[in-house]
Amino acid sequence: MKQARKFLLPLAVLAAAIGLVACGGGSDNSDEEAVAGAFEVLPGAPPDYAKVSGDAELTRADGGTTAEIELSGLAPNTAYVAHLHTGGCDQPDAGGPHFQFEKGGSEEPPNEIHFEFESDAKGEGSAKATADQEVPAGEAGSIVLHLADDHGTAMAASHAEFASLFVHEGEDHEEGDDHGDDGAGHDQGDDHGGEQDAHSDKIACAELEGGGGTAAVPTIVVRNGEPVGGIKQLEYSAGEQIRFKVSSDEKEEIHVHGYDLMQDVPAGGTVEFDFPADIEGIFEAELEGQGVQILELTVNP
Amino acid sequence: MSWLPFAHALVARQDLPVPAWLFAWGASIVLIVSFFALAAAWRKPRFERERWRPLGAGLSRALLSPPTQVVCGAIGVFLLGVAIYSGLRGTEAPDRNFALTFLFVTCWLGFPFFSAIFGDVFRPFNPWRAVGRAAGAGFQLIAGQRSAHLRYPEKLGRWPAAIGLIAVVWLEVVYGASGGVAVGLDPHACAVAALVYTGYTLAMMALFGTEEWCERGEVFSVYFGMFSQLGFLGVEDGRLGRRMPLSAATRWATLPGSAAVVIASIATTSFDGAQEGAFKEAIESVFEWLSETGMDLTTALRLTDTIFIALCFAGVGLVYLLGVRGMRTVRGAPSFAKLRAGFAHTLIPIALAYLVAHYFSLFVFQEQAQFTYLLSDPLGTATTDLFGTASGGIDFTILSANAIWYVQVGALVVGHVLGLTLAHDRALAYWPDYRDASRSQYWMLAVMVAFTCFGLYLLSVSNG
Repeated sequence: MKQARKFLLPLAVLAAAIGLVACGGGSDNSDEEAVAGAFEVLPGAPPDYAKVSGDAELTRADGGTTAEIELSGLAPNTAYVAHLHTGGCDQPDAGGPHFQFEKGGSEEPPNEIHFEFESDAKGEGSAKATADQEVPAGEAGSIVLHLADDHGTAMAASHAEFASLFVHEGEDHEEGDDHGDDGAGHDQGDDHGGEQDAHSDKIACAELEGGGGTAAVPTIVVRNGEPVGGIKQLEYSAGEQIRFKVSSDEKEEIHVHGYDLMQDVPAGGTVEFDFPADIEGIFEAELEGQGVQILELTVNP
Repeated sequence: MSWLPFAHALVARQDLPVPAWLFAWGASIVLIVSFFALAAAWRKPRFERERWRPLGAGLSRALLSPPTQVVCGAIGVFLLGVAIYSGLRGTEAPDRNFALTFLFVTCWLGFPFFSAIFGDVFRPFNPWRAVGRAAGAGFQLIAGQRSAHLRYPEKLGRWPAAIGLIAVVWLEVVYGASGGVAVGLDPHACAVAALVYTGYTLAMMALFGTEEWCERGEVFSVYFGMFSQLGFLGVEDGRLGRRMPLSAATRWATLPGSAAVVIASIATTSFDGAQEGAFKEAIESVFEWLSETGMDLTTALRLTDTIFIALCFAGVGLVYLLGVRGMRTVRGAPSFAKLRAGFAHTLIPIALAYLVAHYFSLFVFQEQAQFTYLLSDPLGTATTDLFGTASGGIDFTILSANAIWYVQVGALVVGHVLGLTLAHDRALAYWPDYRDASRSQYWMLAVMVAFTCFGLYLLSVSNG
């Protein structure tokens, strides 16, 4: 009996310890955070590009950044470039300056985020860019698409030069009417200096965080009945104001469960939800017609 | 891969994960209580003895008289009929149709909760039992003799009910889920399932006898009856009486397969709690692997979920059997089979705690829908307003996240204590020496701590 006790008491302690360890698990989740936006044709874009559309998505995960763009309505078999900018699409110079990890540092990847691709015969194309550090919150303003014409790729010899020209443009020129002129008089800029063309060949811009930092209203982009970049996660504390936008390429009815709010989005349109976070819990918002979840809304006490 | 849909058709709101500090408090209290239980144990069994005091004869007669039984049975049959009719003819929107909320929330969750307090409140309303008894009475009237039944194979015991219990949860959370789209179980499928179950149950009752089948194979009788053993009201020899809460549970697990029923209950609740949280990634990888073999998405998802339900059942069962195996090593222990059946009832409070922890908020919220628009407009077609409440809705603000957390953690802690209490009591009845009995309980303690902490863990995992 003595022996049994010797054996069993530590066993009970062990059981308790196992329990503690089991209980010690809790919550750790390396969160992926994705922002998405839809490409919209800029006012000053070359006239052949009125039908360009597409999506952009930027994901921050595990200390790195992955960004992907997907476009259609482009000219077939043509080279394009796109860059991550810090500002929103509605700035006088769409996107503002290029995003840089080290401000004032190199104007080439990996210090900036660039995309280069060639459209296929159908005028569709996609590109992916990665960086091994995370773009700080609020700084992924938008992604702007350009033509990579002769000087964009060949003449400028290196991408760095092209980019640097472009950045200067963005900082120096404030005139808004510049766009209109360039758009109308666009001639691929073969014979002009790079400066002017860097401006005129901006085709489309996808707003991500809009450069507004915390004030930016998150947007869920729905394409073909699916949220671009997966189900969006938004988190609030009770009493805060919940604001987000949903834009969709097709007509949809958006239903926020629990709060039981419904709004219709017209095809190609955007609706904004703006309501107080007065119910605690986790809620889904979905495309009511198809039952596809687009948002997970968390309201903490 | 974050597009696996919500499995529930009814859930408009999910609980927030229990915060780390509350988790730590819950786990600490569980451990402290457990060690205290080891030290401060009583030496004579307290729940094993039958302690039943009849209530007033008038009350008994009123509640148990044949007319009352007929009325209750008719109510049960009527409500089942309404649910099936709503499912077949009503809207396909799961949350607007009477069928799903009534069957899977009001009954499936409501009866366990109320039975655990009051005793077997389902039995008088059991629609299949009512039909079975009416048929039996009719047969006797016409044929002038009692209907003859087959002998129920004793070895089967409550296994049919255990399997049926898993099947019910499978229908709710697995069958309803399909690849990519969060449809959940649709009311029509639910009604068809109810019809199939009705046919199956009436056939079994005709074969083996109504009461016999209710005691062993009828899923709802067995499942709700299990929780009713904790309640303080009971019927003996045709009289209603008060009994010591928990005491009836000590006599419940005498049929083979009883342990399987309570294990199935814990396992299915665990699966449902874990599929959006703790098991989410594992489920997604198996699902991806299966869908890459060319299986269509719906089949792959159902198969994945089925595998995980089976794993939950095996895992919970294994932990229990390990505990039993451990007790067997203590001097003077009865046989393995006797221990296995003998401690099954000690898990009933844990099973109830799991149910409360996972479904309490759903029940509170969804019952508002049940008693407002679902009652007035059971078909969900906006054509009827029977009680003038069709425009009502769910007020989600009546429970704060904090209130829900305290109820969840509180339920697990209380369930843990009640489970330990029953286990200690049973050990005193099995081991002549109370010191051996206490020693055997290190094992059950480990089992209970494992279940309770697993329950806490499931609550604390973010479902993100």
